[in-house]
Amino acid sequence: MKVSFTEWTKSGSPWVWLNAGAVAICVIMVVGLLSLIAVRGLGHFWPADIQQATYSLNGEKSRVIGEIVESEQVPAEQLRDAGVIVPEGTLMMRRDLMKIGNRDVTGTDFTWVLDNNLSERSNPEMLFTAERREWGNFYGYLRALKEGDKLVGQYDGYEKTPEYVALWKGFEASIERALIIRKDIYQIEKHEIGSINYELERLRLKQRALELKEVSDPAPYAEIEARRKELNTSYEGLQQSLIDLYTEINRDTIIAEVSGGQEIDIAVAKIVRAFRPNDMSVGAKLIHYAEKIKEFVSDDPREANTEGGIFPAIFGTVMMVVLMSILVTPFGVIAAVYLREYAKQGFTTRLIRIAVNNLAGVPSIVYGVFGLGFFVYFLGGNIDRLFYPEALPSPTFGTGGLVWASITLALLTVPVVIVATEEGLSRIPRAVREGSLALGATKAETLWKVVLPMASPAMMTGVILAIARAAGEVAPLMLVGVVKLAPSLPLDANYPFLHLDQKFMHLGFHIYDVGFQSPNVEAARPLVYATALLLVAVIALLNISAVQIRNHLREKYKSLEM
Amino acid sequence: MKMTTNAKTHGIDISSLQREARTLDLDTETTTLKVRDLRLSYGDKEALHGINMDIPKKRVTAFIGPSGCGKSTLLRCFNRMNDLVDGCNINGQILLDDNNIFDRTVDVADLRRRVGMVFQKPNPFPKSIYENVAYGLRIQGIKKKRDIDETVEWALRSAALWDEVKDRLHESALGMSGGQQQRLVIARTIAVKPEVLLLDEPASALDPISTLKIEELIHELKNDFTIVIVTHNMQQAARVSDYTAFMYMGDLIEFGVTDTLFTNPEKKQTEDYITGRYG
Repeated sequence: MKVSFTEWTKSGSPWVWLNAGAVAICVIMVVGLLSLIAVRGLGHFWPADIQQATYSLNGEKSRVIGEIVESEQVPAEQLRDAGVIVPEGTLMMRRDLMKIGNRDVTGTDFTWVLDNNLSERSNPEMLFTAERREWGNFYGYLRALKEGDKLVGQYDGYEKTPEYVALWKGFEASIERALIIRKDIYQIEKHEIGSINYELERLRLKQRALELKEVSDPAPYAEIEARRKELNTSYEGLQQSLIDLYTEINRDTIIAEVSGGQEIDIAVAKIVRAFRPNDMSVGAKLIHYAEKIKEFVSDDPREANTEGGIFPAIFGTVMMVVLMSILVTPFGVIAAVYLREYAKQGFTTRLIRIAVNNLAGVPSIVYGVFGLGFFVYFLGGNIDRLFYPEALPSPTFGTGGLVWASITLALLTVPVVIVATEEGLSRIPRAVREGSLALGATKAETLWKVVLPMASPAMMTGVILAIARAAGEVAPLMLVGVVKLAPSLPLDANYPFLHLDQKFMHLGFHIYDVGFQSPNVEAARPLVYATALLLVAVIALLNISAVQIRNHLREKYKSLEM
Repeated sequence: MKMTTNAKTHGIDISSLQREARTLDLDTETTTLKVRDLRLSYGDKEALHGINMDIPKKRVTAFIGPSGCGKSTLLRCFNRMNDLVDGCNINGQILLDDNNIFDRTVDVADLRRRVGMVFQKPNPFPKSIYENVAYGLRIQGIKKKRDIDETVEWALRSAALWDEVKDRLHESALGMSGGQQQRLVIARTIAVKPEVLLLDEPASALDPISTLKIEELIHELKNDFTIVIVTHNMQQAARVSDYTAFMYMGDLIEFGVTDTLFTNPEKKQTEDYITGRYG
C-alpha cells in the first residue's frame, strides 16, 4: 500500500526516525571510541610472534628479526623516487612496519620493509624477546650464559634441542635470581635510604631554621649533629650492603646473536623478563598477558615512560580528584546555601548567580594561569616566606604541587556544585521546612537537620559532575603541578605522610607526554591508547562510586510525594 | 425551628454528635489567646481587617469560611508562621497569656514551641518514626535517651499511634500511610508539650477512616491542649469543636458556641454559608 509523503509526515514517523537516528549515532560513536582505544591499547600487551625473514632490497640480502606492527599501501612511484628497484607494472606495494628492537645495536627500534621482498619467513621457536631496563626490547638467539667470567653454558644451533632448552632454563633461573636481588636493592634505595635522606633533609632545614632565628644555644645544634651522625652511620651500612648487592646482581651476563649475525653481551641485571613467544601456548600467552596488564597498572614507568607501568599516574589522578572533591563540596554547598536561603533575592543575587554560571564557561587554561599566578606564586610564595624560610631559595609551596592543582580544579568546578545544590535546595517542599520551624527549630537548625540532608543527593549530583570535569582536565594542571615523572608518590611512609606540596603524575598529562613528547613515539603509541583506556576507566570508577553514594542518599531522603 | 430544618437539609444531624452534655458559654471561659484588632496585609492587599476574638483554653475552636476568607492566615498568625512570607505586614496584637507575641523581645522559636502547628498535608521528616517525634526534643537540647524515649512513647500513645508503630519505631516515617503520617505529625507536635495546638485542615488530605481517627484524637487532646482547627468541612467543625468562628472576606462574622452557630446563627451570612448558598 502506498502512503503519500504528507501522510507519512503527519503520522510522526519521520520524527521518530530522526530522534532514534540521533541516539543511534551517539551510541555508535561512544562504542566506537571505546572499542578503538580498548583494542589498540589492550592489544599491546599480547606477546606477538617474532618473525625471521630474509629481506632483499636492491639486490642486497639481509636477515630481519622482529614483530610486524602495522601495514600500509604505498605508491610504487614514491618508492622508485626513493631509489628502490620495483618491478615494472606495479602501482601500489604493501610495506610493513617492523619492530626490530635492539636499539643499542642498530640505532633504531622500527624499520619499514616491503612485504613482497620478504622471503623464507619463519617463526623459529628459540627466538626470544627480552624486555630490558634500557635500550628497549631485544630480539635474538641465546648463545651463552656466563657467571662472572666463567662460561656456564653455550649452544650454537637454531633448533629447539634439549641442550638449547637447558641453556634457556639456566638463563631464566638467572633472571629470576637477579629480580630477587633487585627487589632488595629497590627496598634499600627507595625506602630505607629514601627515608634517611628525607630525615637528613629535615635536619638540615631544622638547623637552617635555628640559624635563621639566630639561636646561640649549642644544645639543639649538638642534638641535630648527633642524629645526623647516627643517620650517616646507618647510611654507610646500607651503602655497603648496596655495593654487595650490586656485585651480586651484576654477576651474570648472556651472549646473544642478533639479526645481523654479530654476538653481543647483555647483563642479566638489565633484563626485566625474557620469553620465546613463538614457543608459547595460548595459555602461556594469556598468563604473560595478565602479568603485563598487572605490571601496567601497578608498576613505575621505565625508559622515559615508554615502558613499564603507570601506577604513579593513576595514583596521582585519583589523589588529586579526591582532594578536589573534598575542597569543592563544602565550598560550593556553603555558597549555594547562602545564595538560596539567606541572600535577599534581588538584582545583586541574580547578578552573582549569572557570574557563577558563567564561571563554568571560562576556558580551563585560564584557571591554570590564575592558579599559577595567584596560588602558586602569590599564596605559595608567601607561605614559603612565612613558614618555610629555612628551605629558601628552593620553594616548598611556591611551586606547582598537589594542593595547588586540587584547589585550581576545585575553583574550576565550584560553579557546577553551586548550581546543582541550589537546584536541590529549591526542590525541598516548603511543608517540610515549615514543619521543622513549627516545632520551634530556628532557621539554622532547620537547614542543618532537615533541609541539607534532604538536598544531599543534589549535592552529590554536583560533585559527580565536578569529578567528571576535573578528572579529565589536563591543561591547567600542566601549569600548577603535574610533571612527566615524579620521584615519589604524594602519599608515603615519611611524616607527614601526605605531601601536599609535592608534584605528581596525572593520566591525562601522561597521555600527552608519552604520545607526543616521547623520544620513541612509535614504541609509545600503543601505550597512549592503553593509558587513555585506563583514564576512562578511572573516571568511570570515580563516577560510579559517587553515583552509588547518591543513590544511597536518595533512597534515604526520598522526597515526600503524596 | 426554621434553622434546624435548614441544618438538617444540609445533612448535619446534631443529635447524633458524640458530645458530653455540658453548657458552653464563651463569656465564662478562661482565654489562652486574645486577638486584638489584628490587621494583616500582603503587600497592598489587606487580608485580615481587624479581627478581635478570645480563644478559650482547653477547648476546640473551629474556624470555618469559604476559601480565601483568611482563616488559615489568621491561624498562621498565632505561631508567626507568616513571618516567612515576603511582604507580609501585621498590625494589632495577639496576646498569649497576656504577652503580645509580636513583641520584639519574643523568641519566635520559643513561641512556636508553645504554639504547635499541624499542616494540611502530612509533612514527616525523612527520618525514622522515632526520630520524627524526638526531633523537637532534640532541638530543645534534651539529650538523655531515657527522657526522650519516655516522651516519644507518651506522644505516640497520645496520638493513638503507639500500638501501630511500636515494632517499627526505627523505620522510615515515609513508609507509613497518609493517616498514620498525619497522626505522627500530631505526635511530633505534642511531644514538645505546647500550650496551643493549631490544626490547619488536618484531615483534608485523608480518607474517611483516617479522618475519623483524627477527629477522635482531637476529642482526646482537648483535655490537655487548647486546640484551634481550620476546616472546610462543616460537619467536621460541628463534630469536633466547642466553639466555631465563621469568617468571610477577612472579617470575623460570627463567633460562638458551635451548636448555637450551626442551629441558630445570628448573622445572615453565616446562615447562607452553612446552608450551602455559597462557599
